[in-house]
Amino acid sequence: MEQILIPILVLGLTGFAFSLLLALLSKKLKVEEDPRTAKILELLPGLNCGACGFSGCRAYAEAVVSGKNVFSGCLPAGDQANKQIAKTLDLTSSISAHKQTAICHCGAKEGEKKASSRYLGPNTCKAAHLIGGAIDCAYGCLGFSDCIEVCPVGAITLKQGLIYVDIEKCGGCGKCLQACPRNLFEIVPIEKGLTFYNIACANKDTALEVKKVCSKGCISCTVCTKVENSPYRMKDNLSAIDYTKENTQETLEAGKNKCPTKCIVKLDHKPQTIDHRL
Amino acid sequence: MKDLILIFISTLLINNLVLSYFLGICPFLGVSGKIESAFGMGMAVTFVMTLATSIGWLIYNLILVKFGLFYLEYVVFILVIASLVQIVEMFIRKYSSSLYQSLGIYLPLITTNCAILGSALFMVTRNYRFLEAVVFGFSGGLGFSLVLLIMAGIREEIHYVTIPRVFQGAALTLITAGLLALIFMGFAGLIAS
Repeated sequence: MEQILIPILVLGLTGFAFSLLLALLSKKLKVEEDPRTAKILELLPGLNCGACGFSGCRAYAEAVVSGKNVFSGCLPAGDQANKQIAKTLDLTSSISAHKQTAICHCGAKEGEKKASSRYLGPNTCKAAHLIGGAIDCAYGCLGFSDCIEVCPVGAITLKQGLIYVDIEKCGGCGKCLQACPRNLFEIVPIEKGLTFYNIACANKDTALEVKKVCSKGCISCTVCTKVENSPYRMKDNLSAIDYTKENTQETLEAGKNKCPTKCIVKLDHKPQTIDHRL
Repeated sequence: MKDLILIFISTLLINNLVLSYFLGICPFLGVSGKIESAFGMGMAVTFVMTLATSIGWLIYNLILVKFGLFYLEYVVFILVIASLVQIVEMFIRKYSSSLYQSLGIYLPLITTNCAILGSALFMVTRNYRFLEAVVFGFSGGLGFSLVLLIMAGIREEIHYVTIPRVFQGAALTLITAGLLALIFMGFAGLIAS
């Protein structure tokens, strides 16, 4: 009898002592959590993309609730969720997080980017960029999809050596900006329903150099800037669109149609429809 | 003092828990993807292992030995480790939120880390005194962190290399782990008995 009873007692008492300790400590060391944190966490997209500057959605929610950080809107969450979060926080001022998207400043397909040598190294853009790249153009997309790997929402796809950003999916977190060794991405504000235009070239060399390496590059001919009320400006031998201004579709379209190398492209709000025919 | 140093070096390198006893393999393969997370996991394991061996020693020698209940060591050690992890987690969460951010996610994983149960059981079979047990637990944890960091460093480098298809993923990781274990066998001659 004793042989059974003693182990039961010893084990039971040890277990009881530990559970008592745990129960007491959990009361004493309880961390008060604002119920709003959980609510906001539910509204946030949960991508942990870090666009807000915090390590993740949870850290952001905690910082906002504790008042350490003024809520300025979560970019990937979208308007609806941001308004709800502002309501939870009793913010009277209207929060408008403009939806942003990443765009890629290279629009040349596999055959259009010239390559005078064959690259056989590791299949990452970072590695290829180190030795000068797999293509002749020192600015263009290398096409080893480093950006696709880091995208938390899978908005980027690669087709025939050309990067497509799905504007619907993209939240504008900016992870691809850091991943791309050639800094081809740019985060720009977009408004729903607006057709979007993009200069699909990042080559800062003169026209002669550009022509040598790519058939799609911007040759800085300045034709697009000469359209009436042109939204295009020249900078570093490249055309650029000022996205902060309200540009009309007509002027953008007119500039695009004038482009001799067709490096101004139109992005629709539908997935994967970069208009490359024109 | 000489004993303690001997225990420290032998647990850290020669009788490394991961590479010569094959304990704690799941975190060794699971958390060794990035150096940053490997460091966090290593520190958490070191912390809990030191505590587990010292408190386990106290309970074993003060309670179990007294009643002659040696066969209960497994159950009791599991109990000790599980509650310890809980308590440590609560403490860290209350008093250092930055530490909780970096270690917090790894702490629940440690409850099921066999390296910690293993170190507690080794401490019993080797008849360590209290101070020896503490040093053993600490160096065991450090040895785990060391191996984890080496592995994470190698795996980060592997990312930049083109790997033949058959070796991609788990295959190469396991081969790397095996080679590391072979390398650590070389430490066997470090201390002449």
